[in-house]
Amino acid sequence: MPRSSWASSHQAIVLIDGNNFYASCEAVMDPALLGRPLVVLSNNDGCIVSRSAEARALGIRMGQPYFQVRRELERQGVVVRSSNYALYADMSQRLMTTVEPWVEQLEIYSIDEAFGTLHRPASHGDLHDWGRQLRHHVLCELGLPVAVGIAPSKVLAKLANRLAKTAPGSDGVWDFGSIADPDPHLEAVAIEDVWGIGRQLSRWCRLRGISHARALRDMPSGELRRRCGVVGVRLQQELRGHACLPLDTLPAAKRETCVSRSFSQPITTQAQLREAIATYLSRAAEKLRRQRQQAGAITVFVRSSPFNGTSFYSNSATVTLPLASSDTAVLLQAALPLVERLFKPHKPLQKAGVLLQDLQSEEILQHHLLVPLPLEQQHRRSALMAAIDRLNRHYGSGTVQWAAAGLQTPWQMRRSRLSGAATTRLDAIPIVQAW
Amino acid sequence: MAPSALPSSLTPTRLTATRLTATSLEEALIRCRASTVLLRVSGESMQGAGIVHGDLLIVDRGLEPRPGQIVVAWLDGGFTLKRLVCHRGRLRLDAAHPSYPPLELDPGAEPHLWGVAVHVIRTLEPGTGHR
Repeated sequence: MPRSSWASSHQAIVLIDGNNFYASCEAVMDPALLGRPLVVLSNNDGCIVSRSAEARALGIRMGQPYFQVRRELERQGVVVRSSNYALYADMSQRLMTTVEPWVEQLEIYSIDEAFGTLHRPASHGDLHDWGRQLRHHVLCELGLPVAVGIAPSKVLAKLANRLAKTAPGSDGVWDFGSIADPDPHLEAVAIEDVWGIGRQLSRWCRLRGISHARALRDMPSGELRRRCGVVGVRLQQELRGHACLPLDTLPAAKRETCVSRSFSQPITTQAQLREAIATYLSRAAEKLRRQRQQAGAITVFVRSSPFNGTSFYSNSATVTLPLASSDTAVLLQAALPLVERLFKPHKPLQKAGVLLQDLQSEEILQHHLLVPLPLEQQHRRSALMAAIDRLNRHYGSGTVQWAAAGLQTPWQMRRSRLSGAATTRLDAIPIVQAW
Repeated sequence: MAPSALPSSLTPTRLTATRLTATSLEEALIRCRASTVLLRVSGESMQGAGIVHGDLLIVDRGLEPRPGQIVVAWLDGGFTLKRLVCHRGRLRLDAAHPSYPPLELDPGAEPHLWGVAVHVIRTLEPGTGHR
């Protein structure tokens, strides 16, 4: 594909992605971690979910179970942290508000990734410098390193972002619009790594000898259409530099689920807020079950009206679950105590919502000593959830509701190496020495 | 890193808030919410600058530290509060208390200046703050 056709597209898509996001967040509030090998563990200190560049260089792999590598990490002097979702959600919010004014439209794709649209002026076809400035700005304001991928389409922006991180000599920015010949770069991307391709389609491609992104781009469209319809053709169009996926489309599995509403009348009592949050959470849990996913963390957020004359109030709080769940009762029990922390008597609230994070597929069975219920009872609970969802689908939403009652005493979760709530709780902010 | 000048259409302008409601404390004290962090002061070495033990400090990480400003530096594994001073062409970190000597910064090594302290908040009535 010649340079001119890509560089002259009027609209560019940019993908901004935090490097080693969880590990980087930890280092923001604890500079002692900068330059050191650091890993962050999943819920219950299960396995490695984020690694600093130094930890990668030691050959530590993603997803390794902690108990298997614990000794080795100790021997190599690797710092180990438990997942601090409150910190990551706060840093994510900071990241998104910082990058938002740099683009025309922003789609927050996940906790550490956002797509943006950008006008590519004819006189200034190369957006590399723009990307460098954005990167520099985020690093200065937040201390978070990001990679910036720029391309004419989302699928290519995803590839550009990957190249921004991995290409030798890359400065963290990759603009396909300034690359004379993209083919060698597309040939280096295995078919399985093309964004949104899915397992079945990539297997089919492999069988036909199509092993990389360039081959998929150049194969006859007709065959692709016959095999997988418009989805495949769209993917191919994207690889050819024609944007087909609008900014809010999510081809991959959802990594977050959000339910939020503005109130018709401002909420002024804690009981009302509790009910509202319980309602939104029930809705979100239903969505979660429909997506066949479970949530590992819940964020509740509230805000007052910016126009009602009193000072603006906006706040959020996050809770992590000992075990990921899609059981409404479990989620309610974890999230409702946050209401007490967020509600302020003299702040009429205009909007509130819940965000389910750390979503994992239902199929991933977690074998754990802390499993709250025996397997048989778990099956009965999921059957109950399915029955409730069916009733609500058939007879209208809210036919069967939760009384927001407790289920069991909360089990303490294992997060032995958790960093503090340095940016989210006034009683946990760091100390600055004046000695 | 000094990126070259870009056409103005590509650089973001910070929107000036034109809110018509009552003055918000946040608006008055915080330039940019995303880069603002709160820290709690421990110790008396910045007394002379009006900052005492227990004060709440509003720190802006996005500002370029300039001589004369009170900065949060990362020194010996902890956050330290000092005034950044340029003395005879060399950067120095000064305390604001006679019993704490100034700290010369090695011209070769880049000091880790973590943020600029922009406001200090003191709770006057004991028991009303989160201490």
